[in-house]
Amino acid sequence: MRFADQIPRNALYWLLFCQFTLVLPHLARIPPWVILVYVGAAAWRLRMLKAGEKMLPVVVRLPLAIGAGVGVYWSFGSLLGLEPMVALLLIAAGLKLVETVAAKDGYVLIALGFFICVTQFLFSQELPTLLYTLVNTLLLITTLNALNEIPGKRASWAPLGYSAKLLLQAVPLMLVLFLLFPRIGPLWNVPSKSQAGVTGMSDSMRPGEVSELSRSSELAFRAQFEDVIPPKPELYWRGVVMSILEDGAWRSLRWREVPPDQRLPEPRPLTGQPIEYRVILEATLQNWLFALPYAESSTPGVANAADARLFTPRAIEGQFGYQVSTWPEAQRNQALSPWRRRTELALPTGENPKAAALVRSLQTENPEPAALVSATLSYFRNNPFFYTLRPPAIEGRDFVDQFLFESRRGFCEHYAYSFAVMMRQAGLPARVIGGYQGGEVNPLNNTVIVRQFDAHAWTEVYLPDRGWTRVDPTAAVAPDRIEWGIEEALREEGSFLADSPLSMLRFRGVGLLDWVRLRYEAVAWRWQSFIIGFDNQFQIDLLQRWLGGTEVAKLLALIIGSWALVLLPITWWSYRGRQSVALNSEERSLNALCKRLERRGFPVAAVKHRGSSAVV
Amino acid sequence: MGTLWSPCFVIVSTLSPTESGGVRSRVRDRYQRWLSKRLPAESSVVLKNRRLFIFVSKAGALFLAALLLMLLTAINYQNNLAYGLTFWLGTMLMVGIHHTHGNLLNLKLTGVGAPAVFAGQQAEFQLRLDAGGKRAHQSVRLSWPGSECCIDVPARDTVNVKLYHRVGERGWFYPGRLRVETCYPLGLLRCWSFVDLQLRALVYPTPIPGPPPRSQGLGGDEGGGSSAGDDDLSGFRDYRPGDSPRTIDWRGYAREQPLQTRLFAQPQQQHHWLDWKDYDSGTEAQRLSWLCHRALILDASGDEYGLRLSGLELPLGRGDRHREQVLRALALFGLADTEAS
Repeated sequence: MRFADQIPRNALYWLLFCQFTLVLPHLARIPPWVILVYVGAAAWRLRMLKAGEKMLPVVVRLPLAIGAGVGVYWSFGSLLGLEPMVALLLIAAGLKLVETVAAKDGYVLIALGFFICVTQFLFSQELPTLLYTLVNTLLLITTLNALNEIPGKRASWAPLGYSAKLLLQAVPLMLVLFLLFPRIGPLWNVPSKSQAGVTGMSDSMRPGEVSELSRSSELAFRAQFEDVIPPKPELYWRGVVMSILEDGAWRSLRWREVPPDQRLPEPRPLTGQPIEYRVILEATLQNWLFALPYAESSTPGVANAADARLFTPRAIEGQFGYQVSTWPEAQRNQALSPWRRRTELALPTGENPKAAALVRSLQTENPEPAALVSATLSYFRNNPFFYTLRPPAIEGRDFVDQFLFESRRGFCEHYAYSFAVMMRQAGLPARVIGGYQGGEVNPLNNTVIVRQFDAHAWTEVYLPDRGWTRVDPTAAVAPDRIEWGIEEALREEGSFLADSPLSMLRFRGVGLLDWVRLRYEAVAWRWQSFIIGFDNQFQIDLLQRWLGGTEVAKLLALIIGSWALVLLPITWWSYRGRQSVALNSEERSLNALCKRLERRGFPVAAVKHRGSSAVV
Repeated sequence: MGTLWSPCFVIVSTLSPTESGGVRSRVRDRYQRWLSKRLPAESSVVLKNRRLFIFVSKAGALFLAALLLMLLTAINYQNNLAYGLTFWLGTMLMVGIHHTHGNLLNLKLTGVGAPAVFAGQQAEFQLRLDAGGKRAHQSVRLSWPGSECCIDVPARDTVNVKLYHRVGERGWFYPGRLRVETCYPLGLLRCWSFVDLQLRALVYPTPIPGPPPRSQGLGGDEGGGSSAGDDDLSGFRDYRPGDSPRTIDWRGYAREQPLQTRLFAQPQQQHHWLDWKDYDSGTEAQRLSWLCHRALILDASGDEYGLRLSGLELPLGRGDRHREQVLRALALFGLADTEAS
């Protein structure tokens, strides 16, 4: 290969550095051995450079590539899906690195690099991801620039500066394109993210699962209120409704289990003033949405289910924004259909006999349903029940019996589970609600930030005169949980975020840190609501506002106008050399000589201006 | 809008010069005519807008394919950040058009010349590149088929470049249009021009030892007598400006005599005529090669020699200039454009 076609040394260093920064954010998503392949490839390439090691022969490279593909299949159980795709991309880049000798291989790696950047966005569109990718893009363009310097040039930072200039000049045009490019729906079905790595509520609740969730400080969703945020104890973010008790776990009704005539919500009269807010939900891979009851949404694609919850037909695979109107005073006293009453009362036969006996004794004292509810809550309050993130494991059948009479230590799901069972034993329709309670209020932009550790489970009981009524047995045991949040409720135990000692959230309440964190959260919210909310409708609204219409002529005028505005200075800049065509020193002295000769009487046919030949 | 798109997009890759055949060659001829009209031959050329072409390179095509894939991903996942990155890279490519174009614009190329060579050797062409103004020109690639170089021309500076080309038969060798191109700064776009810098190199016949000439030693007129040389002292004459200080009679000057120059006698010198008619056999090319070989030997021996070709006679002489005249006459003998320069 000719020297000129080889990848310049500077470019190779930039390339290796890029590969490192590209793989970094994917570390958590891919099996560790992929990273080993990658690091090994980079190390081998460095050895080729430093120690003159030979390129791996094809008989090694080909089995390596095939083996890696098989490895990805073996690790993920499939090649379809976003994570296997990313793993394959990284392996391809790693193996390409080993055989990168020519400059043209460099271009392939850079193109792969940009695609890896895009896959990052599929996992997260958060502000940090954006900033990180800005750096990555700059590095990749720098590599591109370094690839085009003449070989053997001394290492310098010049490509970095030039690339930054190029990218900055492209920003205005990019914004125009971004605003104007029509947002159309997906062209075909694409591989989606796997369940792994997404924390959140699931559609069934076995004791111990919510407390597992409470160890995570990951963001669940943010909500921005238009007016006053309701007090914290009122923030019951309702998500999944679990009406079936089966195999020792509560779970939601499947779509096909609901008779067709029971699927649609009955219209209910809306009274009082609505609370308006916008929620941006992180990926859940589930199709229900969180909202304060009773909620209705104006966002297209969001519907109301018969059990008064919001849902979308598609699972939420990325961040999803929706507008909610909550009517807290809406009437709930609708009649239960016979099917629903039957469903909401069903219990496995013969389980939890001791609890049933307890319920019978409470019921004889308090025959009124509402009185029975408060008597049961009093039972929890007056007996030594403890609220803990580390409850003892309860094995076998009769969970409620064991919990009520033996362990008496539990997290919210233990209380909700038991309470719902007890209500059903008393003949009151009851169900478990999964969702979040509370959240952190950011006064800077009137948002509530809800994290996974705010996960909560409570119950709803159908009272004949009031309809479905929220009853939170945890509040009876640990009022602090509802009033102040989980951190306060677990202060004595010290188990809040015990697994992540360095989490910023452990330092909630420290003045300056709080201020910085909440300010960042406010910026992040703005970013999120822009980047998630920028869809076809938003685009049209924006253009309506700016241009007063979306006619083709106006759009064209905007495109041409803005492009001309941006490109003209660049054009001027690249052609500015034209005016300053100065003579160089040789031409100047040649002209001086010609003048002197002319004065002596020897006219010389030398030419005195640039651009033509100077022949004497 | 006119000024925005002044770099003109022209596809010439389909017109490969190696193809032959009726239509192809006609197209090629037309293209060459168009090229020579658009880019007339000049010994010094400033690369202006109308001389420059720009199009995406192979790497650029790969990059565009990657962008398309990224756009499809953005559409299918409805991911606004992916849209943003795709558009950013796309518009950067647009901005890059001006950068790549600007990297060649106003570069001045001057063909300095090429020393004569013998047939079959590499001719060394000298070029001078001037940065037109405040802009540096980076990674400028100059190439002929089979020979290329890649250089940076710093702003307000001049760079001299040597470019080689293997020459063919004797006579004038024209290397053809020089391709000036750059992919800087991104490598995704290629801006180029074909310039004719009126470069040519004189090619002498290959020196080949031939059969002994028929008129060896003949034609020797009177031996040259004495001329100014270095050997035995033969007399004195008055000093004239320009005489070497070594030949001045300093000893006499010290005796207060006028400044005199010493004269030396040279040994009897042979002189030879290189004559076309010396040979009976051999083709024209062979005879010229033989004569060339003899001329070089005579030049090395320091003897005087002259050249007689049909319709051309160079008088007896000696030295570098004389040798060049003789070789030039041999190189251009019988060729149409004998004296152009």
